[in-house]
Amino acid sequence: MVELYWNAFATVLLPQNILAICLGGLWGLLAGALPGISTSMGVVLLLSFTYSLSPITAFCMLCAAYCGGITGGSITSILFGIPGEPSAIPTTIEGYALAKQGRAAYALWLFIICSIGGGIFSVLVMMVATPVMANFALRFGPPEFFALVILGLSVVSSLSGGSVLKGFLACFFGLFLATVGTDGITGGERFTFGTTILLGGINFVTAMVGLLAVSEILAEAEEPFQEYKSSVRYKGLRDELPKLSDYTKHWFLLLRSSVLGTIVGSLPGGGATIASFLAYGDACRSTKHPEKIGKGSEEGLMAAETANNAGTGGSMTILLALGLPGSNTTAMLIAAFMIHGMQPGPMLYASRPDIIYGIFVAMLMSNVFLLFLTIMSIKLFLQLNRLPYTAFSAAIMILCVVGAFGLNNSMDDLYIMFAFGIIGYVMRKYKIPIAPVVLGLVLGDLAELSLRRSLLLSLGDPMILISRPISLILLSGAAVSVLWPLFKKPTMLKDTENT
Amino acid sequence: MKKGEIILSAVCLAFFSYMFYEALELRGVGRFGEVGSGFWPLLSLGVTTILSLVWLVKNLRQYAKEKGGVAEPPPTPETVAAAWHRRRKIALCSVCLLIYIIIIPWIGFILSTILFVLTFVIALEEKRIWVLIISPPMITIVIVAVFAKFITMPLPRGVGVFAEFSRFFY
Repeated sequence: MVELYWNAFATVLLPQNILAICLGGLWGLLAGALPGISTSMGVVLLLSFTYSLSPITAFCMLCAAYCGGITGGSITSILFGIPGEPSAIPTTIEGYALAKQGRAAYALWLFIICSIGGGIFSVLVMMVATPVMANFALRFGPPEFFALVILGLSVVSSLSGGSVLKGFLACFFGLFLATVGTDGITGGERFTFGTTILLGGINFVTAMVGLLAVSEILAEAEEPFQEYKSSVRYKGLRDELPKLSDYTKHWFLLLRSSVLGTIVGSLPGGGATIASFLAYGDACRSTKHPEKIGKGSEEGLMAAETANNAGTGGSMTILLALGLPGSNTTAMLIAAFMIHGMQPGPMLYASRPDIIYGIFVAMLMSNVFLLFLTIMSIKLFLQLNRLPYTAFSAAIMILCVVGAFGLNNSMDDLYIMFAFGIIGYVMRKYKIPIAPVVLGLVLGDLAELSLRRSLLLSLGDPMILISRPISLILLSGAAVSVLWPLFKKPTMLKDTENT
Repeated sequence: MKKGEIILSAVCLAFFSYMFYEALELRGVGRFGEVGSGFWPLLSLGVTTILSLVWLVKNLRQYAKEKGGVAEPPPTPETVAAAWHRRRKIALCSVCLLIYIIIIPWIGFILSTILFVLTFVIALEEKRIWVLIISPPMITIVIVAVFAKFITMPLPRGVGVFAEFSRFFY
């Protein structure tokens, strides 16, 4: 293991990989900071740059963009009072209040150190937990994989916000989309309608570019562009440096938020938003200064920031150990694995540990570099109000086109991207969650093949799915996640709403 | 309850029912004793069809309930005009993108991108002259430099004289 880490550090610290981390981190910070661009959209757009890169360089760039996106969402929250990401809403409440009191530099320092601290904590947990989970998952057969996918999809569908009915409809739509094309077992055509465009199936990178990026640009175009105007006084980070005791006196809160963020991040459908709201709620309940809540509470800001970045390591643990994406962004990372001829999961851990350990180190270094990148780029983000958003949207649309085209150099993919862009726009308009479609499309193939292989093993007896203990536990979990929202709103969401 | 949501749920029901009907033809495709090609599509489409039906019924019931209750005030001319304006903007942006996708293989990436950026920013109601003049060539130069030169992605060159033009650059 020491040798694997040694090699991983030696690889990740090569100049091209450090450059990839810096570029990815900056792009992620920008994507997170701009309200029109989400982290997942930032990662989708970056994917087209990584087609010709080596796998480890590509993952350095994408991991840095992922961590940067979650971090960047809070910069505009503090300086402009506009959350770049939904997970930065608690930061907007407390950070902007502090900034309006003339303490923008102090709020920024709290945010930067807590974000990076939470990120590094979760990466350390990831380094310990991934090998344990992957070794355990090596015992999984087709029934367990089927049950695992069903559990992931059911949790995402029920927790994706809004109507549970729409969540499940979106999920099954994604599963249906995954069946289009040539059947992996019999070789027969399904839903191709005699065309060659759909013969290879719906490429999920193309579909995701449409669903996540094109639709978001269209949805943003509908509203007049928001002009950034900062009413806070900010000269530089040297304005007010926090003392070490400002952090150490809240060590238990920071530890709790890190653990909470890592655990929530590892749940499919959990993610940074729920993590930050839960940690913020916890800080609000436990603070000795409840009068400061909503008026610039350091504890609220620190807890939310620690938790949302801690979610990144949690999500990556599940992705690397089990091959299960918990969010749109980690679903995009599955696409990155597939582009480089790999399938994340326990088998990858066994066959390509160099890649897995490389990702561990890339995540760690991304957080370290983000500390400096964030400090250096804050002044740049103050100039955001000068950005011509119309031209920026056009540039993003072209990146979508190039990304979808570059995958197979096929014009057909552009039409598929366009169709999914329109579908995604309609879904946003009617508040149908997109994450379950994306995950259904990504995991549909694995679910179908695992089910069919299970039934082959049992000579058609479906009892195989519940006669094996792990599979039974996972399917029971799926059943609970389906039935729970029908009787009671999940406590996590309730807590979030109360907060 | 928006009428649009009722229409969307009806469209979903019609689409998924049709696809379910298509999936029925896949029954029996596969070797004897194995689960065939049609099993999974029938399962997923069966559930989507049922969920669409439930959604439609739920929407219709809510619509009837709201209609029976206190009538909503009719939309003001300003609201109607704003909604129409938004729809026109989205339609224009979508048409710009579609035309861009159609013309890329014919006139090549460079010219089509310049035209796309110009029309897209106009569709987004950009009024600043410097943005209209500078952004089309600047964005195109950056994208071509990064993707065609740095990453060496084979971007479409177009046909005939357009292909000759593209070869000057990549």
